[in-house]
Amino acid sequence: MTEQVALYHWEPNANSGKPMLALAEKGVAYESHYTDLLSFDQHKPEYLKMNPNGTIPVMKHGDRVLTESTAIMEYVNEAFDGTALMPEDVQARWRIRWWMKFMDQWLGPSFSMLGWSMFVGPSVRQKDPAELDAAIERIPLPERRTAWRKAISGNFSDAEMAESKRRVALGVEMLEAELGRHDYVASDEYSLADINWFNSTYSLPLGQPDLAGKDRTPNIMRWLKQVYHRPAVQETWTKGRTDLASRYRLVMEEID
Amino acid sequence: MGMMTLYHGEPNGPSLTVLAALYETGLDADLVPIDLSLGERHRKAPLGVESAMSIEGEGPVLEVNGEAMADSVFLAQYLDERAGGAGLQPSDPLAHWEMMMWCRYIIERVAPAAAYLGNRAHGTARLKNLDGPAFDMLTDAISSVDLKQRWIDIRNGDFDEAKVADSATKISEAVDKLEERLADGRDWLMGDFSIADLESYAWLAGMVSILPSAFDRAENATAWMVRVKARPSVAAALACAQSDDPTTAWAPGPEINRWG
Ligand SMILES: N[C@@H](CCC(=O)N[C@@H](CS)C(=O)NCC(=O)O)C(=O)O
Repeated sequence: MTEQVALYHWEPNANSGKPMLALAEKGVAYESHYTDLLSFDQHKPEYLKMNPNGTIPVMKHGDRVLTESTAIMEYVNEAFDGTALMPEDVQARWRIRWWMKFMDQWLGPSFSMLGWSMFVGPSVRQKDPAELDAAIERIPLPERRTAWRKAISGNFSDAEMAESKRRVALGVEMLEAELGRHDYVASDEYSLADINWFNSTYSLPLGQPDLAGKDRTPNIMRWLKQVYHRPAVQETWTKGRTDLASRYRLVMEEID
Repeated sequence: MGMMTLYHGEPNGPSLTVLAALYETGLDADLVPIDLSLGERHRKAPLGVESAMSIEGEGPVLEVNGEAMADSVFLAQYLDERAGGAGLQPSDPLAHWEMMMWCRYIIERVAPAAAYLGNRAHGTARLKNLDGPAFDMLTDAISSVDLKQRWIDIRNGDFDEAKVADSATKISEAVDKLEERLADGRDWLMGDFSIADLESYAWLAGMVSILPSAFDRAENATAWMVRVKARPSVAAALACAQSDDPTTAWAPGPEINRWG
């Protein structure tokens, strides 16, 4: 297949980083469309035509339009030649899918809540209130409209923040134990599960030193280092624009 | 590849998906019925992190090579792939992506709503029959804190009316989506029969009696349900039932999305 690939992505982390890294691992060149979450680019009419849910990322392959970061990665792995990002072993494939779902639907939303309350909310709060209101009105998913309102006003309840913190701490413990059972997440080979988890955990030793670090989580540190050194990761990180990107370098120094 | 033992509940929801997928593949497995609605999965099935922390809630557990595997869609994929491709997943990458998107929609939006309504209709009364110590014994065996809380809420009959209403909307939307998908006269959701049919049917079958209005004008969806139910694999799965009406068998399912 020689059709052009175009990717609409934000920073190379969380959900955007998944297809970015999968494409880079496969050696597939793509047209990069930086979609600024903090300017609400994902709710603009042209974007909603591609993804009516108004979430990032979106991938175009020829005239196909694909959404949902983990499902896009599976497509990328199946549609292009190059390094296999899923092993042959069927039981390992099951485990990889389990761990990706656990991140996408249980742990990831808790990371998001903490990230939005600490970074996304404060980053957009200074904008003109009328402009913000109009921006929120354009958000298609009702649950997301609520999340944005809370992020902007700093109104996540104590109970929901505490629950998110509990989940993040437990998720980190589970990852540490898993990397004691396997060389990589869910199997002994580098796979989509590593890309999925790495995108949400790479900066843990810096952002949450109480949860992850040399002494507390040696397996996670070993794994982060292995993943950091992959050429696909290095190449992809150059596509970031906010200071999230410079944090990577700091984490690197901490580990090397 | 290791013998398989499937610890399954009544053929409704995730247990129905996995039993039917097993029959579709023709693979051999030991079947061990357990009562998911009494939390037996935490005491009578093998435990592992993936079964204890499964966000599907109380689904079946497949034991292979000493590992406790969970999550119905992925178990169905496992069975299909272990059989060398039993035709339950499209091989074209785009069609496969579409199937996974459909299943994700069911898992993320529809299953939590169905479980909420199903447990409200049938779960609370059953759990109220347990005395305090018996219920404590049940929940003590559960290591996932949020899953345990869903058990407690169900026993207390603690259902948020806004969530009940939203769940009913989600079920109606799902039926509409089926109706639209089937409007071109196709027999199965992805064209060929697939895991998407099994997973959608498994969660919606119990909604017909709880939310009949959702199916009122849904001729295509209703005819599709008859077709799915008549498949030999689904009929064989339903024959595993120990109760008269497995569509009333509910145990805590996935949580309602807390982020969007
Ligand atoms: N399940 C979706 C979630 C995508 C998602 O939520 N992306 C975030 C950025 S990491 C987003 O678009 N947030 C902006 C918004 O909700 O307005 C996926 O994995 O693609």
